Amino acid sequence: MSVQTLNRELDRLEGLWTDGLSDSYRSYLDAVAGHEPHAQPKLALAAALIEVGLRLQGLGGRAAPPPTLLMGDLCLARASRLLADAAGQSLQVAFAQAIESLSAAAASGQQARPVRELLVNAFAAGR
Amino acid sequence: MISGRLRFDTSHPTEFVDLTKRINDEVQRAGLRTGRLHLQSLHTTLGLAINENEPLLLRDFQHLLERLAPGDAGYEHDDFTRRFEVAVDEAVNGHAHCRQLLLTGFATLLVEQGRLVMGRWQSVFAVELDGPRHRQLAMQLDGEFSPPHHAGWGDEATELIELELTRQLMADPDPVALPMRRLMEAGGKRLRPKLVQLTSRIGPRQEPLRAASLAAAVELLHNATLIHDDYVDESTHRRGRPTVAAEEGAERAIAVGDYYFAKATRLIAELGNPSVATTMAEALEAICASQIDDVAQRGAFPGDHDSYLRVVRGKTAALFAAACVSGALLSDAPADVVEALRRYGELLGIAFQMADDMVDFSPDSGKPIGLDIRQRALSLPLIYAAEDRAVGPEVRTLLAGSLGDKEVDRVAELVTASDALRRVGDEARGLVEEAVREIEAVELDGLRPTLVGLARSAVDRTA
Repeated sequence: MSVQTLNRELDRLEGLWTDGLSDSYRSYLDAVAGHEPHAQPKLALAAALIEVGLRLQGLGGRAAPPPTLLMGDLCLARASRLLADAAGQSLQVAFAQAIESLSAAAASGQQARPVRELLVNAFAAGR
Repeated sequence: MISGRLRFDTSHPTEFVDLTKRINDEVQRAGLRTGRLHLQSLHTTLGLAINENEPLLLRDFQHLLERLAPGDAGYEHDDFTRRFEVAVDEAVNGHAHCRQLLLTGFATLLVEQGRLVMGRWQSVFAVELDGPRHRQLAMQLDGEFSPPHHAGWGDEATELIELELTRQLMADPDPVALPMRRLMEAGGKRLRPKLVQLTSRIGPRQEPLRAASLAAAVELLHNATLIHDDYVDESTHRRGRPTVAAEEGAERAIAVGDYYFAKATRLIAELGNPSVATTMAEALEAICASQIDDVAQRGAFPGDHDSYLRVVRGKTAALFAAACVSGALLSDAPADVVEALRRYGELLGIAFQMADDMVDFSPDSGKPIGLDIRQRALSLPLIYAAEDRAVGPEVRTLLAGSLGDKEVDRVAELVTASDALRRVGDEARGLVEEAVREIEAVELDGLRPTLVGLARSAVDRTA
């Protein structure tokens, strides 16, 4: 992997917000409405980062090239930190279970349910 | 000098608790061969005594105490209307304080040949005078210790870690569990889970099963990051076996890594300790960010000392520190202890990575020499060799070109011939001693020799 490639990936991380992350974030705002008001933006952002992170990695599809995988990993890690800060135990568990279910399906070559649907359900389960 | 606490519960108002065996166990655990063990009661209604453990005699002692300071003698201490700052749960216990005055609150016991020096009929008692209560004695051991070792601790704890890992993997679907099981069974030092288990025994809240769950989560998280790293680094082998990416393909490797990242975070969340969850999440973010940093620096291969430390702090040391901190947090250890362990873990993690770099040049490692050179991985011996006045120019020239077998062998030869490995070894050992100093001033409940031994053995290795 070349440094030029990686620099492009770093630029992409900066650009993630305009490249789908903001839309994804907005889509979760309804789902977080039942949670504490101060936690809602963090929770919506965590869900959006998971959605974008898994897409960047190519989970369930064609594997992302290494630099893109690293960006995806970073998105998941940031989501995990946001959840540790803002989510209760049951919501953290529900989010982890959603990723477990998606990745187990991907490893088995099975079709998984859409990420967004799983995460919205996780918000409901973890309320 | 080793310090710790002996904790126990009493079940009667007056009770003679024979601590002789426990104290002997502590002497053995600490490795004290010849010296002294000092005990001090941390309570004003708990005394110490050395006498014979004969039930009728113990009743005689109790009767003696009752005659000398009867419970109904009318003590001014029990007149709360005349006292200031009376706690809401203050006991009527003037008699207990007076009885304690007849005993001692401290004792020094001699140790020879690794055991307490005791007469045939002697036992060491804590004397409860106002029970039942939770009690603790402060304990210090000084003298001549056996060389530190952690085998005695390690057997049982390692078994628990392995059992918990097996239990966790058994519950997972085969497509993710099998590759992870192969990776786990191929080896690994399990240092991070050992640190979790050790530090989880420091505070007052000791729950081995919860600690084992956290230890397993930390090891799963570590291995999940390795699976993704191997794909990123295009590594074909790890621990002598094909990597998950090489054996099962990149798609499966990504899925397995994600599964165990999620599972580990779930296990941590299920512990219900927000501080532990935050600590681990911060470590994971540091690992991912420094992995990006690491790859970005490969254009300036082999890099320099500062950038090396920056990457290693995130990539390796963050999880060592988090392992130490989270175990201690789980046990409700005091804040100063948690902070000292964080610094210990970080320094140990950096030293561990330096030792790992040196293993790449060891003929005894069981791995092909020069793997880091071939993969252009961050390596302190390479950085030092490139700076070396004698071999540096040739090393830099070789590293700037394409690296076939011949070039890799030559770079390894130059590194070995230079002063680089000695410098790295000295630096790693220096960091370990610094780590040891970080935990010198805090109360570790007798675990300091084990932590010291573990740190030193993590660096003094060839594989």
